[in-house]
Amino acid sequence: MPQDEHREGIKGMANPSRYGIERVAYWLMRLSGLGLLAYFVAHIYETSNILRGQVGWDEFLELTQTTEGHIFLGIVIAMCVFHTVNGIRVMLGHGGVGIGKPARPDYPYEPASQNYRHKIGIYSAILLAAIAMMYGLAVMFGE
Amino acid sequence: MKESTIMKIHYGTALAAVALVAVHILMRLMGGFAESLEYENVLANYKFVPYAAMLELILILLSVHGFNGLRVILLELKQGRIYEKSVSYGCLAAMIGLIAYGSRTIIMINMGLV
Repeated sequence: MPQDEHREGIKGMANPSRYGIERVAYWLMRLSGLGLLAYFVAHIYETSNILRGQVGWDEFLELTQTTEGHIFLGIVIAMCVFHTVNGIRVMLGHGGVGIGKPARPDYPYEPASQNYRHKIGIYSAILLAAIAMMYGLAVMFGE
Repeated sequence: MKESTIMKIHYGTALAAVALVAVHILMRLMGGFAESLEYENVLANYKFVPYAAMLELILILLSVHGFNGLRVILLELKQGRIYEKSVSYGCLAAMIGLIAYGSRTIIMINMGLV
């Protein structure tokens, strides 16, 4: 069977620049989700160090309470805020909120669900994530 | 379990976790971030039963939400009967393992075993 020369497979699907901000949000949602899960597992391990007593706890704290550790935590805060705000947007969309009314598909066939309300939601999620990261970094580096 | 039910659980755990994690973060910011991480303060947090119960709840909610999210991502990438079953049971096992490991820390400190 001849392969369609236009078929790009996963690479085409993963291209965030082709399908607008919705595709960027799709990827950021998944990447932030995986990042947060990895952080959560690491956090559970990190806090279990308290079972080693004060010495064990302080030793582990020395590893995390560094400039790199604070920057890493700043990124985690950004991922957390984006995932939360965009998650609420997705939940509302699944519930039929802000996706418009069903209508006859007419040229240029713009999907009613990909409207300005959801675009504002995505941009708000990115903006709030950036603000939260800056605030988190200010708190951590301010001490 | 029906996928629609799983998604309701996914959204429910997310909303509950957002509220509880907000409280958890506020506890770190009250009285200074660095001070809140001192050994005695962390120990006192774990020994305060309502807070320990909240941590246990966050642990369960985020484990369920996180590993179900991972399952959804992995099922989007590839399909197949054996693959789907492996991913679902693998995520369930990882979720139970993480809850057990985290609960061990909470219970041991709360009961004064440290």
